[in-house]
Amino acid sequence: MSEAVKVVDDVAFEELLANPYPVFKRVRDLGPVVKVEAANIMMVTRFDDIMAIERDPETFSSINPQSLLNTVIGPNLMRKDGDDHARERVAMDPSLRPGVVKRCWADSMRAICDDVISQIEHKGEAELFEELAAPIAARALADILGFDGVDWQTMALWSQSLIDGSGNYSHNPEIARKAREAASGVESAVDRMLPHHRDNPNPSMLSSMLQADPAQTVEQIYANIKVAIGGGLNETRDSILTLILGLLQNPDQFARVRAEPSLWGQAFEEAVRWISPIGMYPRRLTRDVEISGTLVRKGEQVGLCVGAANHDDRRFSDPEKFDVFREKKSHLAFGAGSHFCAGTWVSRALVSQIAVPMVFERLHNLRLKDPELVRVRGWVFRGPTHMPVVWDA
Amino acid sequence: MPTIRFLSADGTEFAVEAQNGRTLMETALENSVPGIIAECNGSAACATCHVVLPEEIMLALGPISEHENDMLDFAEAPRESGSRLSCQVKVSDALDNISVRVPAA
Repeated sequence: MSEAVKVVDDVAFEELLANPYPVFKRVRDLGPVVKVEAANIMMVTRFDDIMAIERDPETFSSINPQSLLNTVIGPNLMRKDGDDHARERVAMDPSLRPGVVKRCWADSMRAICDDVISQIEHKGEAELFEELAAPIAARALADILGFDGVDWQTMALWSQSLIDGSGNYSHNPEIARKAREAASGVESAVDRMLPHHRDNPNPSMLSSMLQADPAQTVEQIYANIKVAIGGGLNETRDSILTLILGLLQNPDQFARVRAEPSLWGQAFEEAVRWISPIGMYPRRLTRDVEISGTLVRKGEQVGLCVGAANHDDRRFSDPEKFDVFREKKSHLAFGAGSHFCAGTWVSRALVSQIAVPMVFERLHNLRLKDPELVRVRGWVFRGPTHMPVVWDA
Repeated sequence: MPTIRFLSADGTEFAVEAQNGRTLMETALENSVPGIIAECNGSAACATCHVVLPEEIMLALGPISEHENDMLDFAEAPRESGSRLSCQVKVSDALDNISVRVPAA
């Protein structure tokens, strides 16, 4: 006998935003699929279930032409599967491969981090969201896209406006207007840059899309560049802050990482497991199916809560703890299956090999100004939103 | 049906019947061979299905794509001359009875 989907109706939306992990734990222990009324979604929260779902894209589809994401940014690879998805993914990949990151992007990413840190180094204190992580993430992304002359504030505004528009389920007209403005801003920037990249083939994403076989249409380029802006800025920004936070809160672990720089990669993987920048993404069922014994109907949408899976105590012991030295196991912070994060290798290099090591090297005796002032927020997207620090200038 | 001999990092051998046309990664997952994580499920994006093949088979399999070649340099275990992403290698009679080693991560 299959079980019906259980319902949780006594959780307030604000609880999810403030700290989703207690809710995730409750839902994970209640059943494999649980409808959480406050979020209006059926959550899948266990590690093994999500892994199995991501190996079956024919049943658990990303295709959803009516989604807000498609309305806001146009038909894009996040909402496609199979060959349609693969063709657009392959058009971006040449800019994002790990070797390309190392050969083509590492030097400019290092220069960006150096410049951003130089601007605050003498002050002895800063708020790291606004003064460090956001500008580094936005400028690195602009570089990789091939967007010359777009400042980081504009990139950040576009990114946030597109994200807000894609989650605008209450159809707030102001949010919709800002998203439209961001979309047209991105399209104008693409139009302005395309001739340059057509005439000068280079490793940037715009250039890769132009060189792709089959060639990408301008509509595909518009839409997937918007995906890269909406989905390629906040994750890097948030994981920079999360890794710094985890190490500042755990000086013993920091001492070991500092003494053995090959541990930076491991520290980064733990940071994105601990507070995953993307906590949930949707899949739509193409047939009636049981998920670990719970029946879900064709046409329904489930939210794969990778943030919850990364705290699944069936897989990770003491999951709430930041522990660089925990037993090594793969996590789901980059998702799984064919939609596995395209920017994974960029973020690994930028955050764990360049930005965060440079922060600790240049800002001596870095510490939280007041642990009480640190704010971490969100559940679909989660990360530190306010992180004042001091150091010996 | 060809037999594939997966050799896990701890030295255990998993001799499995494989279906032509499936990938080595799919064959390994279906037979719970340890060490093949395959996070991206065959998209050559994660480099977590790294295996080492006998060198004589490498020639028979033909050239490695630029994308896979790049990924292999960043797999967790160091690259060897017989390294491949198992999701990019299709089972065929030519692979019958070969030894496929899963390197220690």
